[in-house]
Amino acid sequence: MYELARGPLMWIAAVVFVGGIGYRVVQLFRLTKKKERAYCPAHGIREDSPEERKLRAIIFLQNSLLGQHPVMAIVSLVFHLFLFAVPVLTHAHNLLWRESWGISFFSLPDGLIDIMTVIVLLGALFFFMRRLVVPRVRAISTLHDHLVLFITAAPFLTGFTAYHQWADYRTIITVHILAGQLMLIAIPFTKLGHMIFFFFARTLFGSEFSMWRGSRTWSV
Amino acid sequence: MPEDVRTPIDLKRIREMLNLKKGRMKLCLSACAGCTLCAESCFLFRSHDGDPRYMPSYKVLNSLGTLYKKRGKVSRAQLEQMRDLIWRNCVLCERCYCPFGIDLPNMIAFARSILRSQGICGVYPHSLGAPEEDYQRGVIEDGPSETEQEDACDAGRASE
Repeated sequence: MYELARGPLMWIAAVVFVGGIGYRVVQLFRLTKKKERAYCPAHGIREDSPEERKLRAIIFLQNSLLGQHPVMAIVSLVFHLFLFAVPVLTHAHNLLWRESWGISFFSLPDGLIDIMTVIVLLGALFFFMRRLVVPRVRAISTLHDHLVLFITAAPFLTGFTAYHQWADYRTIITVHILAGQLMLIAIPFTKLGHMIFFFFARTLFGSEFSMWRGSRTWSV
Repeated sequence: MPEDVRTPIDLKRIREMLNLKKGRMKLCLSACAGCTLCAESCFLFRSHDGDPRYMPSYKVLNSLGTLYKKRGKVSRAQLEQMRDLIWRNCVLCERCYCPFGIDLPNMIAFARSILRSQGICGVYPHSLGAPEEDYQRGVIEDGPSETEQEDACDAGRASE
């Protein structure tokens, strides 16, 4: 089972992951079309005075997610950052990459990775409790949301268990590999797709107002 | 308004309209991560002590989301529930903000168009650019008169 998980299953997961992301991006671009560029006069825009700039910054911060939901914003930021950093910067993962493809990144000390894993798991617990306790999140939560959260947390839980060798190592590490592959496959086709759309969403408002002067729009 | 005056649900018409924007709307619906950070941008949510039924994503998921999930196979009672959500709980001020850039007002407006095609809460024939005869044949002639529809909406509001 371990050989199967490390060999062909890993290839299938990687191909589905990369292919799925490509599919979603192509799908997004096919649903949009080029738009006539908006004319933006460069003259006649008054510069803000220092007081105005200060006031603008305060209003911006107050209305941002950090100002409105500081706990959610910080937990979310740390969770997502570590979610990405932990698998890439684990020493054992880097060794496997070097062994298979001859590439590797720098890795962080195992003790630090351990703490980061616990933080990711606590973040997942925070989101789970939020779905159960906060009425407005509860109102729109479905089984899909809980399942997706579990799929995200599972590789970290099993990885943590495997590292500390709390159970039969070989079994746990196989489950860990399978859990990681399940997450990779789930990313393009479930709500985890927000990993892909994040990059488009973050540039959407910028593109509408300044960056390419709103050069793309929905085609229907 | 007596039950028999109402037009039966035109499933074919609903599906036709759903297919019109299927790709885009399904993408938008699936991109919603359910973070509920859109809630505070709705003044109705704020002024109703954080009642989840006024949250923009709740309104979208339970109107347009339900329509897509059931592929248009909804009962009139369900459509009337949706009407309360997207007319009474929403004024379409277009101020809701999604951190993922999902165009929530556009989706609510689309759901309204679909409901209107079933004779719910006012019919505006040119709202979707469809041929006027289509609406006249299916909805305006057979459907309830506009005053009756307004009465229905007022009754819905009063029941709150």
